[in-house]
Amino acid sequence: MQANFLNTNQIMRQVIYALVLGVGAQIYFFGLSVLIQILLGCITAVAAEAIFLRLRGQTIKPSISDGSAVLTAILLAISIPSIAPWWVIVLGVLFAIIFGKQIFGGLGNNPFNPAMLGYAFLLISYPLQMTQWPSEFISITHASETIFGLSSIDGLTGATKLDYVKTQLMMGASIKEIGSISVSQLWINIGFLVGGIYLLFRRVILWQIPISLLSGVVAMSSILFLMDSNHYASSIFHLLSGATMLAAFFIATDPVSASTTPLGRIIYGFLIGILIVIIRVYGGYPDAVAFAVLLLNITVPLIDFYTQPKVLGK
Amino acid sequence: MPNSNFKGGLKIENPYPSNEIDLIRIPLPDKVVLPMQQRIGNQAIPCVSIGEHVLTGQIIATIDDDRCAPVHASISGTVTAIGNHVYAHQSGLKGLCVTIESDGKDEWVDTSIGCTENYKACLPLTIYDKIRISGIVGMGGAGFPTHTKMRLARGCKNIIINATECEPGITCDAALMQAYPTKVIRGVEVLLHIIGAEKAIIAIEDDKQDSINELNKYCNNERIEIKVIPTKYTSGAEKILIKTLLGIQVPSGKFASDVGILCLNVATVVAMFDAVVENRPLISRAVTLAGSAIKEPKNFQVRLGATYDYLLSFVDLEEGSHKVTMAGLMMGINLKGTDYSVSKNTNCIFIDKAQESVVAQECIRCGMCNTVCPVELLPQQLYWFSKSENIEKAMDYNLLDCIECGCCSYVCPSNIPLVDYYQFSKALYKKQTQEKAQIEKARERFEFREMRLERNKSERAALMEAKKIALKEKMAKDRSQKEKIDAALERVNAAKIDNMEEDAS
Amino acid sequence: MINAISTLSVLALLFGLGLGYAAIRFKVKGNPLVDQIDAILPQTQCGQCDFPGCKPYAEAIAKGEAEINQCPPGGQDGVDALADLLGVETLPLDQEHGEIKPKRVAVVDEKVCIGCTLCIQACPVDAFVGSSKVMTQVIADECTGCDLCLPVCPVDCIDMIEIKPTIKTYVPTLKELVHA
Repeated sequence: MQANFLNTNQIMRQVIYALVLGVGAQIYFFGLSVLIQILLGCITAVAAEAIFLRLRGQTIKPSISDGSAVLTAILLAISIPSIAPWWVIVLGVLFAIIFGKQIFGGLGNNPFNPAMLGYAFLLISYPLQMTQWPSEFISITHASETIFGLSSIDGLTGATKLDYVKTQLMMGASIKEIGSISVSQLWINIGFLVGGIYLLFRRVILWQIPISLLSGVVAMSSILFLMDSNHYASSIFHLLSGATMLAAFFIATDPVSASTTPLGRIIYGFLIGILIVIIRVYGGYPDAVAFAVLLLNITVPLIDFYTQPKVLGK
Repeated sequence: MPNSNFKGGLKIENPYPSNEIDLIRIPLPDKVVLPMQQRIGNQAIPCVSIGEHVLTGQIIATIDDDRCAPVHASISGTVTAIGNHVYAHQSGLKGLCVTIESDGKDEWVDTSIGCTENYKACLPLTIYDKIRISGIVGMGGAGFPTHTKMRLARGCKNIIINATECEPGITCDAALMQAYPTKVIRGVEVLLHIIGAEKAIIAIEDDKQDSINELNKYCNNERIEIKVIPTKYTSGAEKILIKTLLGIQVPSGKFASDVGILCLNVATVVAMFDAVVENRPLISRAVTLAGSAIKEPKNFQVRLGATYDYLLSFVDLEEGSHKVTMAGLMMGINLKGTDYSVSKNTNCIFIDKAQESVVAQECIRCGMCNTVCPVELLPQQLYWFSKSENIEKAMDYNLLDCIECGCCSYVCPSNIPLVDYYQFSKALYKKQTQEKAQIEKARERFEFREMRLERNKSERAALMEAKKIALKEKMAKDRSQKEKIDAALERVNAAKIDNMEEDAS
Repeated sequence: MINAISTLSVLALLFGLGLGYAAIRFKVKGNPLVDQIDAILPQTQCGQCDFPGCKPYAEAIAKGEAEINQCPPGGQDGVDALADLLGVETLPLDQEHGEIKPKRVAVVDEKVCIGCTLCIQACPVDAFVGSSKVMTQVIADECTGCDLCLPVCPVDCIDMIEIKPTIKTYVPTLKELVHA
């Protein structure tokens, strides 16, 4: 009977396919190292989920084959620096699967976005490894050696453009002096944007969250930019830097942890967008997606309660 | 002009399309098995005995409440059994049925007495009674007794005839309209007269072009409008239809008659016409037979109580194991085997090739179900509450307004049988409410009994007290008498002694 | 330092006054806990819990003198509901007090009844109709299935009949759905 509509496994797979363009851009600019992270992450995710399902007394095959653990691992793997040591992704995925999903009862029961929970854990516990981003294309051999601890990474890393802009602003430079969006960030974000539009067309995700999230980013950054264009970056910058597009189409749209009513989704997405800009500008970390999403995850039951649509006849 | 399209619902393609829709008349069945428990109301009580000879149209079971209608013999013959037989119900439980073996003659009861063509001269109450005595209930599936519905709808301004047949795959109403368009129109005219309404709207979906043409051909009454609405599943749900056609929202918990509207299924109208004008009670109906295991979908006019196997003998059935569904793909129930009989609300029987049952996965909170609910409920929330048996919260989210249309289960990516969960929680709510009422009653009776025993005890004690006091008083009275006597005796004695002393000196 | 102490002291004083006022103004009369517990109990008044009725058992639970799992007619659902109400861990039903039986009602065998009225006196909810030397029968709607009439009948003419689910009273169980 479900002929025209996708089932859960197909939904997860479509999301994974839609990530290809953005990941491709990452590979183009920074090398194949991200694939190593993805591979490590997936193996850890499947193993962790299998062990935990066995501990919980559930059957393993149906739950693993729905692809949600693999999706979590991939999202986390592309959010961290691609030359981070191997244990970073492993610990992150372990935390995400165990504390972000399994202890709540598995798929469908988690209140927080697992990938973002893992990212937040990593960022707070290992700030050094999480802020050393590759600044140029790194060959696969060099990357593998770095990831597995066989050689150092000096001279290869730097801050992201967001981080750079933030520190420069703190040091008093003005926006005009710092310069515009980095090319790599631009193309990576465009890759995710195209993937996201594909998902919208295939009706895998609904329009409310991506559109409202991007609107929130634009709204908040425009307000700040109009107040003082010297010290606040423009909307375009915020839209096309960091993980904005990834957040809008892939992270905030995780149906399990997002709001469920149409109006609720709009509020949820919009507030995430606003928080992303606020934390970027005033918070202590360069990118804000993880914290913004997690904070809004907490408010989802409240949003859902107050945005119940009117029933026919009441 | 109200919007002809409503929020929610689904456009579903007919899974069993056919080129021609014909109402095929089949020979009389050899036996009929008539169920006594109809969809609503108390069980009907058989008024015939085994071995008795009955005529077609004779009442064989009477009812004692207003929420169902009497049962009639659908063929003439001998009553061979009054016993338990499995019902076409998802519980698989058995219930009382009357079995009649046909004598092949189809002898009718006397159909000359009644309102006939001169129904306009009859009182409305007479006609209601005729409808009741003819056993007419809603034939669209709900089975609500028509006479009660019409009585509650007295004074309605608008009548809606539901000819939408929105559930995909069912075509019995379309076949009926193409076969008897005049009966439909004249039936509506009878309705208009009885109810005293201003106008009637026959609502029909735009995929039934042949039926629309036939009805238009025979309808030349200004008070009857044939309104074509877009084909979309649940357009035929009563409250949705009323909103679509007239823009009126029936408040939750109330009925269409409360807002001045009477809504009847088109097959019910035809049955009502037969009862009022031709004095024939409800003894047959149109049934759609279709499915992936049946070569061509067909519509049969069949006597009530005929077995499914009898019907299936008229179609090309593929060999192999089958999945049997009654009453539609969306709102129907799965049955085991085919050992059932046609009842008043059997509108279709689908026989599909047996497929592997799909395993349900976890709910991923995608919210697709919320977007398709035609009553604008939140199926996802109702699912979570039903799963945790939190009936209170489910009621807060308007559980009882769910029309169990199945749109939500249809779109669920995890194949969760959502409607089953809502049926479960509705049944649980009904059970809990009844249990609470019973517990309250038991507590009241217990407390009254305690009070009664206390009262008995204190009455006895009071009685004892009163008796004691009476006795004491009596004793006291006796004492004063005794004292008087003693005093008198003393005086007498004293007097005697005085006398004796006088004598001595 | 002085600032901190004085601020906290003032706050403590204010909150204390507020709480005191609330304790008096919003004081709840009576002992609603006993009533709440009694509302959950099935009112069978059968005594299987070792207390002479449901209200005494409710009072004992409220005082902490009895466990919550002593009521068989309430079933495991009843124990869980009590655990929920009191905010404690639920316990398995104590089988020593009796096994969980399906809902039953008493029926008097009319041919055997001698009209002694002992059953009428025994029934805690007055579900019997009858009198001395007159045949007695049970009002099925009022019978709670407590079994108290069975031992007192001198001619043993009372039977407990199980109420079977019919098509109208059928409630599917969640287990039947979960397999799907």
